[in-house]
Amino acid sequence: MNEPDGSAPLRVMVVDDHPLWRDAVERDLTAAGLDVVAVAADGREALARFPAARPDVVVLDLQIPPPDGVQVTAEVVAQAPGVRVLVLSASGEQADVLAAVKAGATGYLVKSASREELLSAVRRVAEGDPVFTPGLAGLVLGEFQRISEAPTPDPGEPRLTDRETEVLKMVAKGMSYRQIAERLVLSHRTVQNHVQNILTKLQMHNRVELTRYAIERGIDGD
Amino acid sequence: MSSWSAPAAVAVQDRLFRALAVLRGIVLVNAVALDLYRAGNFNHPRAAAACVAAMVLWTGFATWAYADPRRRTFLLLAADLGLALTLLLLTPVVKGADFHATVPGFWVMAALLAWAIRYRWVGGLVAGLLLAGVDLSLRHQVRQSDYGNAFLLVIGGPIVGYMCASLQQMATDREIAERSAAMAAERARLARVVHDGVLQVLALVQRRGRELGGEAAELGRLAGEQERELRALIRAQDAVTTRAADTVDLVTELGKLERSGSVTVSAPADAVELPATTVRELLAATRACLDNVRIHVGEAAPAWVLLQAFPDRVELSVRDDGPGIPAGRLVEAETQGRLGVVQSIRGRIADLGGTAELVTGPHGSEWELVVPRSEGPLS
Repeated sequence: MNEPDGSAPLRVMVVDDHPLWRDAVERDLTAAGLDVVAVAADGREALARFPAARPDVVVLDLQIPPPDGVQVTAEVVAQAPGVRVLVLSASGEQADVLAAVKAGATGYLVKSASREELLSAVRRVAEGDPVFTPGLAGLVLGEFQRISEAPTPDPGEPRLTDRETEVLKMVAKGMSYRQIAERLVLSHRTVQNHVQNILTKLQMHNRVELTRYAIERGIDGD
Repeated sequence: MSSWSAPAAVAVQDRLFRALAVLRGIVLVNAVALDLYRAGNFNHPRAAAACVAAMVLWTGFATWAYADPRRRTFLLLAADLGLALTLLLLTPVVKGADFHATVPGFWVMAALLAWAIRYRWVGGLVAGLLLAGVDLSLRHQVRQSDYGNAFLLVIGGPIVGYMCASLQQMATDREIAERSAAMAAERARLARVVHDGVLQVLALVQRRGRELGGEAAELGRLAGEQERELRALIRAQDAVTTRAADTVDLVTELGKLERSGSVTVSAPADAVELPATTVRELLAATRACLDNVRIHVGEAAPAWVLLQAFPDRVELSVRDDGPGIPAGRLVEAETQGRLGVVQSIRGRIADLGGTAELVTGPHGSEWELVVPRSEGPLS
């Protein structure tokens, strides 16, 4: 969808209910040569404009009028599995951020992040590289801990390998990929792959959980 | 008396009258069966049959009448008790002066309990005294068991009445509590909307300020501070509703240590409830670690706090990117008795039955604090 060599500008959609913010983000992205193909002020608008806009990256505020950011994430990822969602959250609502990432978001950034951080995050997310803040890594660590404490563990459920847990812990402690690579004597790319696998497993677990929930409630079609 | 007409109080009364309807049926069957069994004792069998018929009809009518709160008037209750008293008074006529058992027998209990439910302990006492007084006054000779039955009526009425009142009171209190909880939740939801707007603006000011530099940067820094404070407040508010009184959410408390640009706190999404003293000591130790970073690495040096919660323990790590403490310096400091901070951190954690390890090297220093969640040392 996107052009990793940069020959065509990245197509970005900005979803935020605060006009001040929407404009600021849009301005920053446009100034950096990115193509803001659509903006939306709430979940309904976002879902209505998404199919025609075909963005590579959706920069999404979680606290928007319904459907909320988590639902929008799940919906756009279901419609276009190649799209990347970067969550931009002001309130630091921990549970919401985790829910959005489980629903398919690939990155998370606090709104107070600088323009450079935002641009770098959008570019990295577009390349399929998860943007993990230490805070998000801490949430994900906690989530996998919660999963492992489940009273009836499912053998088919995705678990983190020891190495992945180690990497995730280091990210949560604020270490950069470069630092982690150095410490574990791995290549930068390997560390990136580990982080990507962690995210994939988290999203896979979310789907397993949702399916199980559906079957328990008899919603399953079969 | 408004609390007795509250919906919750009326609902309790409804339940009790439904139960009483069942009891009415049971005591009726019992009374009719006994009267049939002792049919030979009656001087006037026709009058006796009329009395039994009255009991059966009234039981049916009363069950219907008491089912609706609007029909539970004084008239109904007076008629209920009046009929029971009349049947008692008719007993000497129907059975002769030297009767043992009354015609209605335990059936009078239904009227007594209706009074107790409707008028609480006062109603129970009045009905009990009337029924017991009439019963005893009719007898030429009061035997031990007659006195016992009368005494139970007088005692039972107020007790049941008092319990009904307590149940109604509790139901009303619970309803009030539930309503205020719902209101608090709604207030919190509204506050969240407001807070979110404020956070958005604070974050924007902070970001633009940093870009503009100069005085605007100072404004941005202040906005950042306020953003952090407000975020900590919101977390504290979210945690306050669910936790027990003597425990504190460590995640909320650690969140307050966050400093934008320098201290990052990472933690699980759910609250980590620990005894208040444990949280206090862990916070003090974490603060000491962060102070150390400020002193030895730099005022604005970045530091990362990571909390992991396991069923049996919590692990808290404080890391910095500083040059680390050169090998031998700790030993040297220890021999010179200059290990104040390190000792105080170790001491606090040891008092909690945990361990505190310091790993240091050219890539920075990291404290690992491990504290058991239940009493006793780590296994």
